[in-house]
Amino acid sequence: MKIRFFLILVLIVNTVFAQEKKMSAAEIDVFKATVEKETKNIKSLKTDFIQYKHLDFLSRDIETSGKMYFKQPNWLNWQYTKPYQYSIVFKNNKVYINDQGNKSTVDANSKMFEKINKLIIGSVSGNMFDDKEFSIAYFKNKDSYIAKLTPKTATIKKYIQQVDLYFPMSDATVSQVKLIEPSGDFTRIVFKNKQINAKVDDSVFTN
Amino acid sequence: MPKSMIRFLLISAFSVLLFSCKSYEIANAVKKESSVKEFQNQYFANPETDYVYKAHIDVYGNELSGIFIAKRINDSIHRVVFTTDFGNKLLDFELSETDFKVNYILEDLNKKIVVNTLRDDFRLLLKVDYVISESLENEECYIYKSADKKRFNYFFVNKTDGKLVKLINASKSKEKVVLGFASKNSTFAENITIQHKNIKLKIELNQISNQSN
Repeated sequence: MKIRFFLILVLIVNTVFAQEKKMSAAEIDVFKATVEKETKNIKSLKTDFIQYKHLDFLSRDIETSGKMYFKQPNWLNWQYTKPYQYSIVFKNNKVYINDQGNKSTVDANSKMFEKINKLIIGSVSGNMFDDKEFSIAYFKNKDSYIAKLTPKTATIKKYIQQVDLYFPMSDATVSQVKLIEPSGDFTRIVFKNKQINAKVDDSVFTN
Repeated sequence: MPKSMIRFLLISAFSVLLFSCKSYEIANAVKKESSVKEFQNQYFANPETDYVYKAHIDVYGNELSGIFIAKRINDSIHRVVFTTDFGNKLLDFELSETDFKVNYILEDLNKKIVVNTLRDDFRLLLKVDYVISESLENEECYIYKSADKKRFNYFFVNKTDGKLVKLINASKSKEKVVLGFASKNSTFAENITIQHKNIKLKIELNQISNQSN
């Protein structure tokens, strides 16, 4: 009897700790201010990432990985290195794609590309709180703050049901992004070895 | 117009007609007596396997890149998903020889011609069991012919190692789609090409080696 009680207690404790709790209004204010302050200081950023594509019908997630470089003003190189080479550079309203040596360029003056660019950069830096496209709810678990973004516009709702941004409590930038599709399948991107304001050569953004 | 001219025109018109009506035949292949009545395409047959490929689609000079994912859900149904490199789903189909269900398709792709072409290509790629009506052979391959509605499928099996190397989907008179397979073993193809003969569409699939495998 005692054992059973103990087990139940352990279970409850575990659930409580694993559970996400809503942040209070005061916590949200502090959290937002910290992230915004931190992001303002980002001149450049480089990080490794691992992307897990989860589809319910598969036995295991599809894993791809690579490097991401960002530099003001909004230059971005998102580069897959494993298991294949593919990189996409956003620079001066143009998108340069290098697909295993096969190069192409797309004019990115369209609103759609602007939104994509903003979403990617915002996801990495975490500064998307003023975004008119999303409504945001704030949670925390035992080691992270979590901002859950729900699209407001029908255009984005078609592709994305929700974006979860994880901020470790020790760090004001994003460590993990989860993009949930309307079907419930999702893409989870985990950032590792992140370096803020390390030297990033301009040549990194030539594809 | 002189008579000879008319005759010439008639003959050429007739020969063009004859030529275009010529029924489709595999070059340099001869019929062969064979007891083979069934054929299995093993490349997408294992329900335990997640089939994941990097995909390149070349359609009328436009290049598309992404990830092609297929899984055999049960004896007759395969699930097929195509995503961008970032993982966003572009389409999600469930199909068997007779059934077809669209779980999701990006609005921009949701055109009858696109959906039907991909549906037919995926069926050709994924279907496992075939009934063989005729056997042929050429120097390198045994060739098994199977009726597919108004068309025919020809399976080219390498004589030396027994691997399926090519699948030709043809009407009575000409090739429509040609699938090429490169594989290290007979149950998994590392590289697959799907080449259309009547429209400018080529799909190339290269295995993504999953590190955790």
